[in-house]
Amino acid sequence: MTIRELAYHLKDICHYYGNTKVLDIDELKIKKRSITALIGPNGSGKSTLLKLLAFAQKPTQGQILYKGRKEYPFSSGIRSKITLLTQKPYLLKRTIFENIAYGLKIRKDTDNLEKRVKEALLNVGLDYEKFENRKWHELSGGEAQRVAMAARLILKPEVLLLDEPVASVDTKSAKLIRRASLNARQELGTTLVIASHDLQWLYSISDRQISMFKGQLFSTGIENIITQPFEKQNSKTHIKRLDDGQIIKLPPPAPKTCNAIIRKKKVFIGLEQQEESASLNQLYGQIASMLFEKKTGLIMTTVTVHDTSFVLRLNPDEITNLELHPGKKVILKFDIHDIEWI
Amino acid sequence: MDFIVAGFIKAIELLISGDSSTWTAIFATLKVSTCSMVLSIGAGLPCGFLLGYFDFRGKKALRTFVDTMLALPTVFIGLAVYAFISHQGPLGEFNLLFTLTGIAIGQTILALPIVTAITASTIENIDHDLKLTLVTLGAGKRNIITTCLWEVRYGILAAAVTAYGRVLTEVGISMMVGGNIKYHTRTITTAIALETNKGLFANGIALGLVLIFIAFIVNLSLSFLRKQ
Repeated sequence: MTIRELAYHLKDICHYYGNTKVLDIDELKIKKRSITALIGPNGSGKSTLLKLLAFAQKPTQGQILYKGRKEYPFSSGIRSKITLLTQKPYLLKRTIFENIAYGLKIRKDTDNLEKRVKEALLNVGLDYEKFENRKWHELSGGEAQRVAMAARLILKPEVLLLDEPVASVDTKSAKLIRRASLNARQELGTTLVIASHDLQWLYSISDRQISMFKGQLFSTGIENIITQPFEKQNSKTHIKRLDDGQIIKLPPPAPKTCNAIIRKKKVFIGLEQQEESASLNQLYGQIASMLFEKKTGLIMTTVTVHDTSFVLRLNPDEITNLELHPGKKVILKFDIHDIEWI
Repeated sequence: MDFIVAGFIKAIELLISGDSSTWTAIFATLKVSTCSMVLSIGAGLPCGFLLGYFDFRGKKALRTFVDTMLALPTVFIGLAVYAFISHQGPLGEFNLLFTLTGIAIGQTILALPIVTAITASTIENIDHDLKLTLVTLGAGKRNIITTCLWEVRYGILAAAVTAYGRVLTEVGISMMVGGNIKYHTRTITTAIALETNKGLFANGIALGLVLIFIAFIVNLSLSFLRKQ
């Protein structure tokens, strides 16, 4: 990626809330006009990263370059160009028209305001005549989210950051918000960064998936994190006990690490158990979901082992050969030496 | 009971006939209370915003001080202002004792902590997402301050109304600093106190009615503004 192609370049970012480190990113590059998916459990740092990308906060350490330039909150290079839609957006205590026109009014860009508000509302499936004079409290959750989306799209942003945009809205609103965000990329060339738990949507639209865990990034997409507690079995092996009695064997932890990761490319699937080996993990599980990954043509498969989920990528032939389908009982296999500590 | 009814009838007569002593007290009250409200809102609103919006060292102590000032007795403020503006006091040369300006200064001191404390509480209770929303819609620092104030406009109006109610009904400052001079510094509340002492209930009731009427008009205007 050349500098010209980059929307963002984050270097050596560390961010703290009080004494707690919430983000630790060595480097992150986001290409212009791309769709980047942020995946990770609650508390993994997705929202904080989006706030930093929106320049709503300054990182405690490190620098964020936007289009090759170091930018800060309120600097003219980013104002009105980067916008963020949160899961529960705040609507100003004004009419819907005033809410949508706010961003344009503060930058004194009020030509054809009515027409532009009308278009923005239409873009999210809301009727201008019906909604323009409504007050902020006269909307359902889904309508409020769509109004908030319209208030951002009217700015024609270069970057649209979406933090769980469809997590608490009805199906119709979710569909319209998804469509509007894709329209922004197609019509305006907007760069999208989306944090969501809706993996099906993310895998179908994103150019790149980044998974997050405890403030760290895994640029290879969603990975399998094995969390504490662990027990020391002997000098060469630690174990994690699952509630159903199965155990995961791990190598001894590296200094200053507390969680382990087994990358999805190192996890294999089978239907029959292999001969026991000190270094091989074999876990009985059930296929929970299978998602088609548009970009790679592979199937992102999630296997639940008791209450822990593992993901792996399978090619369609493998699925046909093993006759895999959601609900099928399978055995996951991975070598202890492929487990890394983070 | 008869004297109360008679008092009401007489009160209405006094107001309609344009009794000069009654009306000068009404005008004096409106003058000083308006002046003190303008000053206390002018100073209290920015102070309350700073106190509520920003985190700084000593904020808690300052907040405790402002909250303590809420309970300041009017006679104490009267005494303090008297001490400062009397001829022997540091501001004696300005001849403010027994003037409406003197009363307005005292009432400003009374209203200032009310406006400051309620504004600060209102600002503190602003939704955390508001600032983030404004920043991500391209708002600058000044836009954020003005929009935040506009978002909590009802809370600020409540602060102003509470302070106005306190200023309008206080007696201690007006009596001590103003001296209750007829046609000059006599306000509605000092007049009520005097007339009642003299046994002239009708005059007292007339002025009391005016006080209630003013409070009613202020609240009516507020609820009209809310609807807008």
